[in-house]
Amino acid sequence: MAVVPGMTELTAPYWEAAQEKRLVVQECQSCGQVWHPPLPRCPHCHAADLGWRQVRGDGTVYTYTIVRHPTHYAFADAIPYILAVVELAEGPRLVTAITGVPPEAVRAGQPVHVAFREVADGVTLPYFEPATRRDTEDVG
Amino acid sequence: MIRRDVAIVGIGQTAYGKALPGTAWDLAIEAILAALADAGLEPRDVDGMCRFAPPFEPVSEPQLVRALGIPELRFFAESPLGGEALGAVLAHAAAAVKAGLARTVVVYRALSQSKGGRFGRADTRGPGGAGAADPGAHVLVPEEDNRSFAWPYGLMSPGQLFALWARRYAIVHGLTDEDLTKALGSIAITQRRYANNNPNAMMRDRKMDWDDYRGARMISEPLRLFDLCLENDGACAYVVTSAELARALRDDPVYVLSATQTLSPYREPMGIYVTGELLELFPPATAERLFAEAGVGRGDIDVAEFYDATSYMPLRSLESYGFVPDGLAWRYVTETGTGPGSPLPVNTHGGHLSEAYLHGMNAVLEAVRQLRGTAVNQVANAEIALVGAPAGSATILAR
Repeated sequence: MAVVPGMTELTAPYWEAAQEKRLVVQECQSCGQVWHPPLPRCPHCHAADLGWRQVRGDGTVYTYTIVRHPTHYAFADAIPYILAVVELAEGPRLVTAITGVPPEAVRAGQPVHVAFREVADGVTLPYFEPATRRDTEDVG
Repeated sequence: MIRRDVAIVGIGQTAYGKALPGTAWDLAIEAILAALADAGLEPRDVDGMCRFAPPFEPVSEPQLVRALGIPELRFFAESPLGGEALGAVLAHAAAAVKAGLARTVVVYRALSQSKGGRFGRADTRGPGGAGAADPGAHVLVPEEDNRSFAWPYGLMSPGQLFALWARRYAIVHGLTDEDLTKALGSIAITQRRYANNNPNAMMRDRKMDWDDYRGARMISEPLRLFDLCLENDGACAYVVTSAELARALRDDPVYVLSATQTLSPYREPMGIYVTGELLELFPPATAERLFAEAGVGRGDIDVAEFYDATSYMPLRSLESYGFVPDGLAWRYVTETGTGPGSPLPVNTHGGHLSEAYLHGMNAVLEAVRQLRGTAVNQVANAEIALVGAPAGSATILAR
């Protein structure tokens, strides 16, 4: 059982890309700015011609919390888990969860890299885990 | 500018409790009748209503007009954003009175978490929660206000969100876990002591010392159980009218000096996608406007009631409203404190942590009692009070 995102016309491309293990953020085709979450217009130049830019998936932990008490039955067995806001190298911040590290080891500013996980049939979420040397080399 | 042209002339509330008899509708009626009686007014005198927008306020104007036999409302308005409506509902009421759109405006807030769902639950036990009929089935989160980008990870409750804010505060200012625990605990324990002296407080009989605070279970680090507000039933109401009518009704009206609401991109009360520094969800410019319109300075404030869905909010509010420099409130609350006799007593009713949770309405009622000189934890000779929510929705009141 998983908690899965409902999609709208605006948000579906983000999740479709995630299903293909690509992390994308919305990009203005007119002025080139990027942001997240998606908007119907560019908030900088008000252009309606928007696209999606694939990002490297590198970021740092901006803030985090270790959840030790579930507020939804779907997460009762996941306790404890690490919720975080990750700041992408390209600028935008995402709400996500950090995996692959014991809760006590997560640190502010820690370099992290996207790790996709299929949580339900056809639904993949971008998580983040501590960056390894290989992540950096992949990018290079 | 509102400055002293408008006043709060009556306050009313129900008892507060985990599960009260009656619906939110019953509770709203009881609080409104009490506020009108306190003002020396009748339901037939009411011609305006301001409230928190649904889903935060479940009781509608038509329900109340019918039940109270109010002949005609000629002004009614709703303010979104939960606790950020604290100053907005009063600003709307005051603006309506000043513009002559209404003469006597009731502001109310009623809550029945025992029947309507607990705010701390994001599944079907919470209001607006998401769940599946079959507990083994996937839960689909409807996309609404970017919820679908957070809930699938388990970021589903206010307490978790505010834990992210509190952690950010510690990161930016270089606090250790122990520094943060001491700061948040000082606030929680101080408010509990106020509540222990308040007969209306849900926690009046529950003492709390440092062992109790530290020993309570961690909910979402760094927030422990007693850093989070109560979940309860109850209602509050107050009556806003012109200064002139208020003086005719009673000799101790409480004047509105200023009332603010504010909204900027991503600087939303439950904001997490702020493009600048997350701590600046609390906008300094709004605080400047609040004081400038009131015509008073920080040193003039005798008592402050800060919105406290969690203990972190009063901490940061001391800074964002300009009482303590940025990054120093954590020291201030442990060394100087906000208890009785401190330079700025805060949340003298016990706040949402220890009196009851009513989206800041009970904080407004406490400020009125302080300015009338009738509070149980009375600040000596209190003349000016500030009630403020984290993102800048606030009011300055004076006797």
